[in-house]
Amino acid sequence: MSAEETHHASTEVAARVERRWATIAVIIVVMMAGLAAFAGIHRATMPQPRVETIDPSRIHLSGEFVESNLGSVLEANGTVTVRAIGQQYSFTPACILVPADTPITLRATSADVVHGILIQATNVNTMLVPGYISEQLMRFTKTGDYLMPCQEFCSFGHEGMWGKVKVIDKTEFANRAKGGGRLSCVGQ
Amino acid sequence: MSTRDLFTLRNTHFRIGVGITAAILIVTAIAGFIVLPFAQPWVQFANVWDAICSAAGVTQRAPDVTAPQQAKRLSEVVLTSNTLSRPSQEAIGRGATLAQRCAICHGPTGVSRADSPNLAGQYAAVIYKQLHDFRSGARSNAVMSPFAVNLTDQEIADLSNYYAYLPRLPAYHPTPQLPKPNIVIYGAPMRGIAPCGACHGSLDNKTGSPWLEGQSEAYMKAQLQAFATSERRNDISQQMRNIARAMTAQEIEAAAAYYASQPPDVVKAVD
Amino acid sequence: MLVNRKLILAHFWLAFAVFGVALTLGAWQMFIRSPIGTWLSNPELYYRSLTAHGTVMGYVFPTLVAMGFGYAISEAALQQRLVGVRWAWAGFWLIVAGSIMAVIPIALGRASVLYTFYPPLIGNVFYYLGVVLVVVGSWIWVALMSVNLRVWRKANPGAPVPLAMFANVAGSYLWAWTAVGAALELLLQIIPVAAGLKATIDAGLARVFFSWTLHAIVYFWLMPTYIAYYTIVPRAIGGRIYSDSMARISFILFLVVAMPIGMHHTFADPQVGAGFKFIHSAFTALVALPTLLTVFTICASVEIAARLRGGRGMFGWISALPWDNPMMLALAFSFVMLGFGGAGGLINMSYQLDASIHNTQWITGHFHLIFGGAIVIMYFAIAYDLWPHLTGRELIDVRLIRTQLWLWFVGMIVTTFPWHWVGILGMPRRMAYFDFGDPAIAPQALSVILSAIGGFILLASGIMFIVILARGMRAPQIDAGPYRFALAVHQPKTVPVALNTHALWVALMIGLTLTNYGYPILNLALSSGTSVPAVYVGAQ
Repeated sequence: MSAEETHHASTEVAARVERRWATIAVIIVVMMAGLAAFAGIHRATMPQPRVETIDPSRIHLSGEFVESNLGSVLEANGTVTVRAIGQQYSFTPACILVPADTPITLRATSADVVHGILIQATNVNTMLVPGYISEQLMRFTKTGDYLMPCQEFCSFGHEGMWGKVKVIDKTEFANRAKGGGRLSCVGQ
Repeated sequence: MSTRDLFTLRNTHFRIGVGITAAILIVTAIAGFIVLPFAQPWVQFANVWDAICSAAGVTQRAPDVTAPQQAKRLSEVVLTSNTLSRPSQEAIGRGATLAQRCAICHGPTGVSRADSPNLAGQYAAVIYKQLHDFRSGARSNAVMSPFAVNLTDQEIADLSNYYAYLPRLPAYHPTPQLPKPNIVIYGAPMRGIAPCGACHGSLDNKTGSPWLEGQSEAYMKAQLQAFATSERRNDISQQMRNIARAMTAQEIEAAAAYYASQPPDVVKAVD
Repeated sequence: MLVNRKLILAHFWLAFAVFGVALTLGAWQMFIRSPIGTWLSNPELYYRSLTAHGTVMGYVFPTLVAMGFGYAISEAALQQRLVGVRWAWAGFWLIVAGSIMAVIPIALGRASVLYTFYPPLIGNVFYYLGVVLVVVGSWIWVALMSVNLRVWRKANPGAPVPLAMFANVAGSYLWAWTAVGAALELLLQIIPVAAGLKATIDAGLARVFFSWTLHAIVYFWLMPTYIAYYTIVPRAIGGRIYSDSMARISFILFLVVAMPIGMHHTFADPQVGAGFKFIHSAFTALVALPTLLTVFTICASVEIAARLRGGRGMFGWISALPWDNPMMLALAFSFVMLGFGGAGGLINMSYQLDASIHNTQWITGHFHLIFGGAIVIMYFAIAYDLWPHLTGRELIDVRLIRTQLWLWFVGMIVTTFPWHWVGILGMPRRMAYFDFGDPAIAPQALSVILSAIGGFILLASGIMFIVILARGMRAPQIDAGPYRFALAVHQPKTVPVALNTHALWVALMIGLTLTNYGYPILNLALSSGTSVPAVYVGAQ
């Protein structure tokens, strides 16, 4: 073989190996994207389906985030809706009460700046952006107390913005819900 | 080859580059806008168009919800960083005239000899909000409410601007300056209490929160206790009740005593 | 051929000086919020420091490195004096002016809004104007890179653009376009409010604009590192680039897909539609492709070097590598950190897993490992490699250099691994202090202490780095010879026009930005009632 032919042959080999690797890389990438889509369908962790807006400076005047409507409510279909707001530097209600083993919809918004709700030891995690309503589905399997820190810098008191979530037994929650109104574990 | 030869279907790289990009875009768009929305049994869409619009993020106003009746009257004040415009000299003058009625309790210089709040140099938004709340009944006080009931919006704004304009004088409660208690410096993070100064002026001012240095100890203690028991509830969306409820009785006393002993000059000029 | 050494040295020195300051702040932050620090009586100091650390490390330091390195590449790879030296100095001084303008309000506590801005929080207007000046200064560099390449092309019609310059210009275009997002946020939204011309701002739209910049900026930071992988490492260890065209394809892929993926930063945001989140998630998966290709090509290039040095066997060649060569060491460390960081990144990018770590300390751990680790360690290596050519003096103490690289690697691992862990436990980001005495978070205390120790190891390493470079300015003079870049095994004689020019790929980048960002931005910009009152921080 001449030098030129050797050169040519080695280029061919190099290109073939390279193509093989590129194919593997593409397969990895496609699998990852596919896995994400699959998990989106089979696990209830899809991002919220709609974009809803609200005026943060007026949420206390009317609409779904007035003070008397904040907290947890047992809906007719057996699910629970929790409404909460974040503001400098607390969540209202400061302690959220929910039942175990129940589909829960969290609807929350911010009254001033950007905050975030993160419930530790769960994958409940959403931003609160003023002007928009955040919605997240959640379901707790274990009863007990969970910490709910604000996960986004919201100015100088951010380090003191920690809320709580209390998960109680389903029947106990149903009993408490009989009284009507909005439930929370504030002051308990 | 020039760029003209680059952007043509004869160019393999152009065909492959644009083709693959477009294909990925189309596949992911179909998945993201049509397949995934309908794959969620817990969300209902009226039709494909509704699903696409929702997935695209078309903004919708929040649905009207009928909330339970409020048990008591709450604050209806809308307070933002631009609620009060820069005051004119006339506004301050009008406020000064109106303030003569307030002098009996709040002092001729805005500094009270009794346990009424000192108002001299207080943030305008604070006085504005409290007067509105007294007027609407969201906050009530046997002495104060009758004064506020007949004030017009203009008069409330003028009074707020006048008191904000007054110089911050030392208070009439001469106590030795106390060391800062932990609850004031650090708050109590795990109980959801931020440092007091994050809202009340020494670090930053949250619009509507007063600075507290030199206020009457008895007054502050009473207010904290009233917030803690929800007897006072004109703080918008429970912003102060959340804090006061989490404080212990000792912390309330320590915070009130500390602030009462402080001179007003540590407050940042925010307004 | 490095003619404008003073210009390049000025960029590097300023970069490393501000890096030193920001690194010190970073170590202090790690310490003060850990259980071994005492709680700050003024939490604002923490956020002030954090704003300075982020602004310097995110905007000033990597930009200066990319610019200095870019000028060096332009002269050395094209064998051509830099065209527009005066403009280059103008860009440099704009960055100096912008940095000073930004840092004064930060130091005074008037702009403690963090480098990510977070409107409706609004700080002093000069902070934002300073950041804009820094970006404008860097845009001059982008233009110069383009001009220099054009001048070279005229003189060498049809010749393959040297790989280093091809990649360098790709990086500059990527930066030019990705900076537009933050620039729009600053110019259209934040600055009018900070200057008092407007009182409301759409916080959701601002986050979308910022995500446009926030992700691709990482690839801009990454560019010098990847250029070093391809064009410096093989030469420094006595090997060859496995494939020139694969390298070009990797840089092209970065140019095209680094941009339209930023919304994976907004997976948990309420203002972006789920459909766009999915598209961005899928494109984010794509960005793993150029990195996977790079890992292959570089490993193959390194293997070539080992075999040329007499390495044998399936894995035996690894021991034949020049492990005492700082470049080899830096590359190995960089790859290890890139591997771990990349694996973490796959979790962040996926539509679902992100929810468990979004905005926790995991994220901080992740980008410190990628940027501070994999990327910055190659910045060190680039500086060591270039220094003798810039100063005409030898970097004598190779042992010290190796120790410095080891310390950086160990420090970064010790810092970021526990950081990831506490993130999984749900520790939120950016808090001035934590009550580790509380039993609910007490189990995180040990990890946080470890992280803080890692921070000090990094600080020690950073100081050593600056000392080594400073001593290099006084070392005995040598003739370093011409600065060369690595050659490919099969050095191309001709390159297809698509792989020799950027136009097609820049067009695709802009096109994808329009498809992936156009509607979400217009939708929010045209919706009424989404603007909210500004909240001014600190005394005004």
